[in-house]
Amino acid sequence: MTAARSLHSPIAEILLALTLLSAAPLVRADEGTEWLDRAALAARKLNYTGTIVYQHGGRVETSRLVHMNDMGVETEKLVNLDGPAREVIRSHGEVRCFYPDARVVRIEPRTFRNAFPSLSPLQLKSLTEFYEFQKAETGRVAGMETQAYVFEPKDGLRYAHKFWAEIGTGLLLKARIINEKNEVVEQFTFTDVVLGARVDRDMVKPSWPPSPPDWTVVDTGPRDVDLTDTGWTVDKLPPGFVKSVEGFRALRGKRARVAHLVFSDGLAAVSVFVEPVGATARATGMLQQAGMNVYVRQFDDQIVTVLGEVPAATVRQIAYSVARR
Amino acid sequence: MGEEISRLMDGELDDEHVEIVCGQLKHPEGMSAWMCYHVIGDTLRGTDRCTPGFSRRFSARLAAEPTVLAPRTRQGRTASFAWAAAATVAAVAVVGWVAVGTLDVQPTVMAKAREAGSVRSALVGPQAVPADYLIAHQEYSPTAQIQGVGPYLRAAAAQGPDGRP
Repeated sequence: MTAARSLHSPIAEILLALTLLSAAPLVRADEGTEWLDRAALAARKLNYTGTIVYQHGGRVETSRLVHMNDMGVETEKLVNLDGPAREVIRSHGEVRCFYPDARVVRIEPRTFRNAFPSLSPLQLKSLTEFYEFQKAETGRVAGMETQAYVFEPKDGLRYAHKFWAEIGTGLLLKARIINEKNEVVEQFTFTDVVLGARVDRDMVKPSWPPSPPDWTVVDTGPRDVDLTDTGWTVDKLPPGFVKSVEGFRALRGKRARVAHLVFSDGLAAVSVFVEPVGATARATGMLQQAGMNVYVRQFDDQIVTVLGEVPAATVRQIAYSVARR
Repeated sequence: MGEEISRLMDGELDDEHVEIVCGQLKHPEGMSAWMCYHVIGDTLRGTDRCTPGFSRRFSARLAAEPTVLAPRTRQGRTASFAWAAAATVAAVAVVGWVAVGTLDVQPTVMAKAREAGSVRSALVGPQAVPADYLIAHQEYSPTAQIQGVGPYLRAAAAQGPDGRP
């Protein structure tokens, strides 16, 4: 301020004020990405057990989670507590989903965490350009002290994200996605959590053998996710969205492969699936599912499915911009 | 054989192959592959289940029904719906017919047929997206990574007890 005072010029003062104003969000956005990095790191590095309540569209689901990091090797067990039993075990580069009522085990390759250890520079840029970071209140979640922070969207093409991080470790104990009407689209909350818990191998072991003898094993196999040029593109991508992955994968137990493209703005992701029209006709149009908007449309002889944790308009815009490269 | 049956279910076979594969369904191995794929499909989609014995009761009632050789003529705009409904009945009937002669058919086979029917009578509105699409999406969602609470929560939620989101 001494510089401005010495100039004695109102214009210089305004210029300085503008500089300060424009600089401020940048500083705060950096703080925001630091919080996110800390949360992502804590989620991987810590041992913890807890009960998670997931709410979306008037529905509530409760699951039990055990996360173990043993000398850098992560294993996670997630068991739902209501409805038909579902058990998900993540370990050794794969995910096993057990469906005991149907006697089915589904094995999925786990490519995500290896491919994306953290946000890419382009995603970080989108995050600072299209969201405003705000530090919010402190308070208790699951009996622990937390700091809340919010990413407010600067346009109508994305939702607001609010996070509650445990102060000591940065682990997120609560996360909420809020739409333009200030309604909660979905929310994850720990209702109880033990951080730095003593977790041993038995606690993350599946309740069944890896492939029970009389069960059906559906193995999509790593070779079924083929990261390559699909020949598809989105020509009018909403601002801030950057392609993070592209490839073919086997879905719905089909041998015919489905093109899968993912676009992200650093917080939200939108998936585009393109596949030939089959006789298992899919009705077209907009629907909401598990906190996400989904748009299905036919494009020539192809079915385009676009889904993501973003407003309906964003999903629709992307669905209508899918084109052959 | 499994691949052919899978393609039949997806409607990817031409007429000639449909005949052949339907023939295979009369054998126990073919029938068990057919049922197995439907159970997998139903589980992934979280389709609601029929009560045990549904297929037997349905087959009995279907057998008691008079055979409709042609759909009744309807006027104007309703025609396409009538045809869609006819196709649905045909699909259910075929499965019902296949089911006759097997001892105890998995109820899910009928559930699948009913679902196929609801898709064919279409136009009604979009159905749920299969859970593996959500799983595939979740793998790449930054929010899921930041939260670290298991990206599979959403996908697991997608296949709730009533099978509908």
